[in-house]
Amino acid sequence: MLAELRSLQNTALQELAGVESPEALETWRQSFLGKKGQLTTLLRGLGALPAEQRPEAGRMANETKQALEAAYAEREEALRGQMAERDLTASALDVRLPGRPPALGHLHISTQTLREIYAIFGSMGFDILTSSEVEDDVTNFQMLNIPPDHPARDMWSTFYLTRPGLLLRTHTSPGQIHAMHKYHPEPFRVILPGKCYRYEQVTTRSEEQFHQVEGMAVGRNITMADLKGVLAHFAHRMFGSERAVRFRPSYFPFTEPSAEVDISCMLCGGEGHVAGEPCRVCKKTGWVEILGCGMVDPNVFRAVGYDPEAYTGFAFGLGVERVAMLKYGIGDLRMFFENDVRFLEQFS
Amino acid sequence: MLISLQWLREFVPFTGTVQELAERLTMQGLEVEAIIDPFASIAKIVVGHVAERTPHPESDHLSVCTVDVGGPEALQIVCGAPNVAAGQNVPVALIGTSMPGGMEIKKAKLRGVVSTGMICSERELGLSEEHDGIMVLPASLRPGQLLTEALGLEREVLEVGITPNRADCLSVLGIARETALGFGLPLTMPALNLKEDPAAGNAAQAVRLEIADGELCPVYRARVLTGARIGKSPDWMRYRLLAIGQRPISNIVDVTNYILMELGQPLHSFDRALLKGDVIRVAPASDGQTITTLDGQERKLLGSDLLIWDAERPVALAGVMGGANSSITDASTEVLLECAIFRPGTIRKTARRLALPSESSYRFERGVDQVGSVFALERAAQLMAEVSGAKVMAGVATAEPKPWAPREHIFRLERCNALLGISLTAEFCRSTLTGLGCSVDDSDAACWRVGSPPHRLDLEREVDLFEECGRVHGLDRIPAVLPKISKSLDSVQMSDTEFGFIQALKAWGVGSGLREAVNYSFVGTEDLDRLNLPVEGRIKIANPLSEDQNVLRTEIAPGLLNNVRHNLAQGNASLRLFEVAKAFVEDAASDTGARENSRLGVLVHGARHSQEWPWEQSEADYLDVKGLVENLLAHLRLGAGSYVLEPEHPYLAPCVRVEVATKAGPKLVGRIGRVEPKIADAYHARKEVWLADLDVDLLRALSRATKPSFKSLPKFPPVRRDVTVICPATLHAEAVEAAIRELKPKNLESLALVAVYAPEAASEDKAASDGKAAERNLTFRLTYRHAERTLVDKEVDKEHGKVLAGLPQKLPVRI
Ligand SMILES: [Zn+2]
Repeated sequence: MLAELRSLQNTALQELAGVESPEALETWRQSFLGKKGQLTTLLRGLGALPAEQRPEAGRMANETKQALEAAYAEREEALRGQMAERDLTASALDVRLPGRPPALGHLHISTQTLREIYAIFGSMGFDILTSSEVEDDVTNFQMLNIPPDHPARDMWSTFYLTRPGLLLRTHTSPGQIHAMHKYHPEPFRVILPGKCYRYEQVTTRSEEQFHQVEGMAVGRNITMADLKGVLAHFAHRMFGSERAVRFRPSYFPFTEPSAEVDISCMLCGGEGHVAGEPCRVCKKTGWVEILGCGMVDPNVFRAVGYDPEAYTGFAFGLGVERVAMLKYGIGDLRMFFENDVRFLEQFS
Repeated sequence: MLISLQWLREFVPFTGTVQELAERLTMQGLEVEAIIDPFASIAKIVVGHVAERTPHPESDHLSVCTVDVGGPEALQIVCGAPNVAAGQNVPVALIGTSMPGGMEIKKAKLRGVVSTGMICSERELGLSEEHDGIMVLPASLRPGQLLTEALGLEREVLEVGITPNRADCLSVLGIARETALGFGLPLTMPALNLKEDPAAGNAAQAVRLEIADGELCPVYRARVLTGARIGKSPDWMRYRLLAIGQRPISNIVDVTNYILMELGQPLHSFDRALLKGDVIRVAPASDGQTITTLDGQERKLLGSDLLIWDAERPVALAGVMGGANSSITDASTEVLLECAIFRPGTIRKTARRLALPSESSYRFERGVDQVGSVFALERAAQLMAEVSGAKVMAGVATAEPKPWAPREHIFRLERCNALLGISLTAEFCRSTLTGLGCSVDDSDAACWRVGSPPHRLDLEREVDLFEECGRVHGLDRIPAVLPKISKSLDSVQMSDTEFGFIQALKAWGVGSGLREAVNYSFVGTEDLDRLNLPVEGRIKIANPLSEDQNVLRTEIAPGLLNNVRHNLAQGNASLRLFEVAKAFVEDAASDTGARENSRLGVLVHGARHSQEWPWEQSEADYLDVKGLVENLLAHLRLGAGSYVLEPEHPYLAPCVRVEVATKAGPKLVGRIGRVEPKIADAYHARKEVWLADLDVDLLRALSRATKPSFKSLPKFPPVRRDVTVICPATLHAEAVEAAIRELKPKNLESLALVAVYAPEAASEDKAASDGKAAERNLTFRLTYRHAERTLVDKEVDKEHGKVLAGLPQKLPVRI
């Protein structure tokens, strides 16, 4: 019996050394350790032994069983490692194959830029409001202090509709009127994004359609210093804190005083020259204009019933595509509405 | 507006650089857009002295000149001009010089004689139209000197962008005032030295003035000159006009241009010999009347146009252009010089309607200084006398029905500082306003009375004075403060607005692998016609840039289809696009006559996957676009929607109505379908173009009416059973699904189609030949679950058995 156990253990361990796959290992386990395995069969014979041999044989049998089980566990562990290694190194996996890409969509660059703008003004407590794209002359011009036959009308080339008095809004500024009607007589701050239209030949730098974001704050004691604070903060967050920002007096009929905001040119860093050549972005001035702004003109307040003696406010307007062009170095405005997927995919 | 620095310095003793001036003007609100050298193209031309001239041995019209250009050796230059002569000073282009026309001067041989340069005519230098011979320069010039220096040509010119409110800056004088203000310098007006000749007559007696309406023409003044000799203006005047881009014409006309540019006052000179009678009348035209302007064009007039008349007929379109019947010619000797002011709106209307913008009308429509016009007339008459030898009649014929009325505004320093957010001192504001030419009465310290000067028509209100103080102080010096602004708390909440909803839609589009397109709101009539869209309801643009863009889009499709054409032309064959934009349809009920309806368009075309590997190649079809729509509706908590074939549609075939179930019955939210191949052809699409067009406003309203609510997660395991039915290929999966539900198996939690198997074509043919209709297999997976306990197999088997037994009884199917 003892000899048989010893011989069984030897055979089993020898065979185990030759086991190379999980399937062979399982066969081995069943052959030696299974319910009908050789060890189990041998152990059934224990009862037939003389009583004095039984303890010795029982101990031996246990030892053999433990030895085989330990060897099995060890072999199993080793095999698992080998298999994992083989999976990765052998032909099974080409780790350098291109992956299966998820279908990714893209927001239009104008939408993305708009979202950046919303986030910045949103953090300063501005709500978002939208208004119609077809407007009448009264709202688009007259209530904004631009009477008919006023030379300031030259600032906006207009698409008129065949129905008299109607036009495609030339700027988001009529939104100022809609916002004031909506909130009157409360104080408010709001931005008004949307499409605008100008009767202009399409070139790399001018388009007949574009997005604008109008901004407006109305309340008591709002000052030009507040306007500068809001817009300087915007310029720095949009274009980088290293940009210099300047406010230059200008003219818009619906604001008084009016200003244009310039930032130092990102191409030449405000030098006006790049490697000795005149800078093409800022045309040697070192500055690029990003938006127009000013304090709400009393005539605009009067047009909607806010008392200009009691209320002050500021307004501004910026061109979204212009911001995107400056920010991403896009040289041709026409690409925005061609919707070439190779263009649409570039920005994320 | 082009401003010569040298000219400016005649008004203000500015000694700084042109860059310093540009910077200061820009920060005062007069944006200097460029600094120009108007004579850059002849900067290298030098003065030469013709030492010797001999005839060319091989030609009788060429000369061989020895020209001293200041260098150690004289140049030999062959010249074809008849007027070249020894002893002349002439302009010389040396070898390597580029001429204004772009031609480069090279060493050349002319009929065998070497020529090392070119002697130039005025036309070759862009200085006049003169080309009968070379330009002969004054004898006082030194050979080798640069021509631009020798002639005193002005090399520094500022291009200033003048905003529409600053009419006063449309002149050298105006910019000089701003320069004086910016640098604290005095302003000097040119000295007047007009010599009247009473022997020539008296203007007020020679011309009688009649003004029909003082609102249209507040003042009209005229001087009369006699015995003028029309000719070239003196060089200094011609070169100065050239420097600012004005073409010199003749001495009398040049003076009117010179004064316009210098003082901002438009003038007009008539040939008095051509005027009938001794009266000048200012009166409106009558409707349908015509006048031939001095450019030879006949202009049809309206009653709103203003005319200048002599005793019999109109002689000028007031403030816009003179008439051909009375303009100065080379033969003129008698001049009537008009200096008037016209109503801005009237001039603007006429100039715009007739598309006749001029330097004069540009200034009149912005406003001209009525008080300053007296000086302009005197200076113009003086210059005309000087350059033409004319005698000036004594006196001025004047009619001034509406004299300039001084304007006074209040100025509250406290409010000024409150608006600007700074603390300007009373001293600063007083000196600024005075510097602008305002009168200041500060006897009431809290509320000054400020009179604005006649050249600043834009200073109409207190707030305009605030702007001036801020501008002169420097907007850049106002501190930037992040504001404490109060606002109403019941203002809109972003997610619930139309705007917020559209943002969410766009996020869905991106998440669904679509690319966002943004198209023009206008399309061509042809684009709408091609899609067989109705003609009524279209909103047309009165002044389109082109016929491709003459109408607002009434649907979202045309733009997306144009994107198909563009992308296919660029080789981008796989397209998955979406756009959220407004469609515009006429609507009498709307404030603007237009209903603006936001639409969501989705377009798929070509390969389903943007790259071949590692997918099987396949092309987008109905299920792609339908899947997107189902997914969107579910995303908006609107269920899966129901889909009903629509027999006819203008451009989709097949076309499927997308409906959402509501309490009030199914609501049509949009359509999906394939663009008819014939129409798709027009966009060069060879593969199927599938489109969805959904009503964003309606989707928003429906989605808002629902609310997401929490359902507790199931605690007990489900039991799943599949059923495969063999049914005619024409039977819709939806019908089988409905039949299963009608059988009401207990504890059925959900039901899903998991496989569609159409037997191969061979068996189909066989089925057809057997006289049987084609069949397909549909497999549904039924999920059973009990909320409070684990289901046992037996009870599920029983319910499932009901389905297996019941289906063949309800439908023509086998299990
Ligand atoms: Zn630059």
